[in-house]
Amino acid sequence: MKKLKTILFYFALAVSALLFVYPFYWMLMGSFAPENEIGSLTFLPNSVTLSSYSQMLDKIPIGGAFINSIIVASSITIGVLIFGSMIGYALSKLQFRGRDLIFYIIIFTMTLPFQITLIPQYIIMVKLGWIDTYLALIVPYLINALSIIMFRQYFKSIPDSLIDAARIDGCNEMQIIFRILWPNSLPAIITIGIITFMASWNEVLWPLIVIRDESLMTMPQLVTLFAVGGRAESQLGVKLASAVMLALPIVVAYLFFQKYFIQSMASAGIKE
Amino acid sequence: MINRKKILPYLLVSPYILHFLLFVSFPVAFSIILTFHKWNIISPMEYSGISNYIQLFNDKTFFKSIGNTLIFLVIHIPLQITIALFLAEILNQKIKLRGVFRGAFFLPVIVSGVVVTILWQQLYGFDTGLLNRIFTGIGLDKIGWLIDPKIAMPSIALMATWKNVGLYIVLFLVGLQTVPPQFYEAADLEGASHLQKFFKITLPMINPTIFMVVILSTIGGFSLFIEPYIMTGGGPLNSTVSAVLYIYKQGFFYYHMGYAATLGLFFALIILAVVVIQKKFIETEN
Amino acid sequence: MKILINVIIIISLAYCLTGCSSKKNSHNEILYWCSNNVDEINFAKEIAKEWNQGNPGRPVKYQPVPEGRSSEEIILAAVVGKTTPDIYSNMWQGDVEAYAQAGVLVALDTLKGFLDFIYERCDSAVIDEIRSGDGHIYQIPWKINPIMLIYNIKSINDMGLSGPPKTYSEFFDASKKFQKDINGDGYIDRWFGYSEVLVTWWQRFFDFYPLYLAASDGAHLVKDNKAVFNNEYAVEVFRFLQTLYKKNYFAREELTARQDVFLASVIATRFTGPWEIAHAEKFKPKGFEYDYTTMPVPDGHKGPVYTYGDPKNIVIFKSCKDPQAAWNYIKTMITEEGDLKLLEITNQLPRRKNLNRNPVFSNYFTNNPKMKIFAEESKYVKGTDASPVLKEVFDLISQEYEACVIYGEKTPEEAVKDAADAVNLLFIK
Repeated sequence: MKKLKTILFYFALAVSALLFVYPFYWMLMGSFAPENEIGSLTFLPNSVTLSSYSQMLDKIPIGGAFINSIIVASSITIGVLIFGSMIGYALSKLQFRGRDLIFYIIIFTMTLPFQITLIPQYIIMVKLGWIDTYLALIVPYLINALSIIMFRQYFKSIPDSLIDAARIDGCNEMQIIFRILWPNSLPAIITIGIITFMASWNEVLWPLIVIRDESLMTMPQLVTLFAVGGRAESQLGVKLASAVMLALPIVVAYLFFQKYFIQSMASAGIKE
Repeated sequence: MINRKKILPYLLVSPYILHFLLFVSFPVAFSIILTFHKWNIISPMEYSGISNYIQLFNDKTFFKSIGNTLIFLVIHIPLQITIALFLAEILNQKIKLRGVFRGAFFLPVIVSGVVVTILWQQLYGFDTGLLNRIFTGIGLDKIGWLIDPKIAMPSIALMATWKNVGLYIVLFLVGLQTVPPQFYEAADLEGASHLQKFFKITLPMINPTIFMVVILSTIGGFSLFIEPYIMTGGGPLNSTVSAVLYIYKQGFFYYHMGYAATLGLFFALIILAVVVIQKKFIETEN
Repeated sequence: MKILINVIIIISLAYCLTGCSSKKNSHNEILYWCSNNVDEINFAKEIAKEWNQGNPGRPVKYQPVPEGRSSEEIILAAVVGKTTPDIYSNMWQGDVEAYAQAGVLVALDTLKGFLDFIYERCDSAVIDEIRSGDGHIYQIPWKINPIMLIYNIKSINDMGLSGPPKTYSEFFDASKKFQKDINGDGYIDRWFGYSEVLVTWWQRFFDFYPLYLAASDGAHLVKDNKAVFNNEYAVEVFRFLQTLYKKNYFAREELTARQDVFLASVIATRFTGPWEIAHAEKFKPKGFEYDYTTMPVPDGHKGPVYTYGDPKNIVIFKSCKDPQAAWNYIKTMITEEGDLKLLEITNQLPRRKNLNRNPVFSNYFTNNPKMKIFAEESKYVKGTDASPVLKEVFDLISQEYEACVIYGEKTPEEAVKDAADAVNLLFIK
């Protein structure tokens, strides 16, 4: 009896897990099915075709958008890691006037809803002439309050003696940050790195606002406009193909680094 | 001779100061100024007094959009917490392949909202969508997921729950694991059932986690934009226009910059008020 | 410290690099942006070639509008970023007023020879239509694509009708006869007509607006910053469309995900323009015959039937260093020879008076008989009212359209009134 209960239990659990995975599988199958079959597709298409993909490649520069997303997300991640650690270091290990004030300001900005700064930030981009440039996509995101807080917290747990020893050896502050602290903060770096990369990869509202030139659009932005605009010509398969392409990079990364993804998001949530 | 040591900290935080001035304080100040002007980007700014505010208070669609956002939150948050708590509790037991199941639940979290929306737009299709095909297959009527004005926003809330519940399962798991096992052992000695243990021990102990989840979901829910933008464009009958979608339309489709800034300011104040109330509620609870 | 300096240098370099890539044209060149429609690019190529041969000192460089989400957004981005071309030939008439008021367009009536030429080419009614609020003229009417009723000749004959329906009653009558459930599954699968049920503002150009112009003999929607469409014509049009959907004469489901439903005889009519001809000729099944007629009008309507023409016009931006030379170039595009080339290369109608009687074009229309009806209709084609908030006006009308026509939640009277009230709110200062 107990065994039956266990089997039923795992079966129910498997079904619920499947609920979260099957739709992606359906999307993948749909992208390989001919247009008129998608309406009746459940598990496997009757015939497989690559036409959705070839049409998509014809209509939109998805490869270019992929590269744009890589450039933007990588730059932001690197910037956030560098600046976050610099400022987190200053706030956690150095003494100076105004240190606590800055810390509270950072906390305050985290509570500010973006809805209030959206329009003026766009106008600043216009005035600086940064519309339709990578700068508009990257610069506003280079400094991230959450990353500063997380670095500060993590650095606090690193013993001061380590840093003092390095100073005695003649290291300057930059070297302390990058040669001493970084190697000892891998968990924080991985966590912040993954969260930042994922968030900037998936960001779509801001690119929709500041980028009009198709050659500079990020991947989610291009796929959004493709799905909403008329270019897909209501062809389902092509829309699904573009969605698959958009999901692919992150899903692949997830399959390899699943543990890190989950841990990162969890610790970030708790810090908030 | 500049004392290098003394100015160094300021140099280190200077990028933040710059960023703060350029992307936080200036925008907020400019935003407030903008609310008293009319501007469409290509013409010069025109001082307009409080006419934007008057227009806001007469704007039925704007208040409908706030209402729509609230409907979304009211459905999405309790649903998400219930399901996440339930599944987290199950995963917290000694089960095999926990990592696999957790990984499956978490999959929609990392994928872009754009992908999820395009996918669910097909699932929700009236004629040939997967969900309605299943429904008619088992003898039920088709449902107008995205074309019935009363059901459209709940449909979006359902999709958002599906997308995010994995994250909250993980957060709850962390919270569940902080409950000292001695409590459960003591309850076992008294012959408590699983349900009793859950409601009398687990729930009170993970209250902080629950509150955190509520606040996170609230802030996230208020930024609802890309899902209605792609899925319904705000229809049918404006039932899925979220506040951010409406502000976006006013600012970046009609280029009513002054009015959009006014809407943004008003909406940001609402969000702050809601979050403050929630935090106060949590403090009194504790 | 070193790293910080390096970072600053890199950022400054990057800024320079991105800032330095401006699209400045050389001193003498006139930069002309055409639409990125293949035929129009070919047209631009020919006209530019001819001009450059005769005017080597003032070369014209043509360029299709840069890629982007919509050409309107590209133009806006160019205006904001101060990278506008000298000439742009694909501007939708509804957009011009906002740019005129912003002061980025050249007042063409101040150019030598402009007024004489334009009054010779265009109807005075058209010129009044394109005149801006301040009395100046900022756009040149170039081409139109009138919306008319395409119909399946065989389907009409099969129903025993003598011709396509002209009035609302005849339309309902034909719809009833054509409505059918072919495969017997309880759901209608054959409709007399179809119009997309999208709430997008421009969708109204294919249903509400041409019908409104037909019913009202070309009345305005907005005039002098007031909504003037709260009249019996708008109400009748709303009622007409609402009935079509209520009785399932028009399909409420989306039919565009299949192959062309008109050519497949799933629908017998459609509100569409001359661009459909090329598509129909290419894909029509054997024996399929079609033709065009005027938009349906309310019973009792007398006189010619007006319609909407999706006018695209030419503008000169103020950034142009020599507007007079730019005008001279544009002139070559819109002489009789230029207009004939436009017809032959792109199959789009020049907005020129007497198109159907001018002997220069008679050869073209003999060879393209289906285009003749558009030429005859061109006298009764209307564009859009000169208002800087036209997009919003159509958006507000669309929302009432959705509530009344598609969901039947309001009466036509209520919907039209609510739309007019909402539009009037736009103009409050």
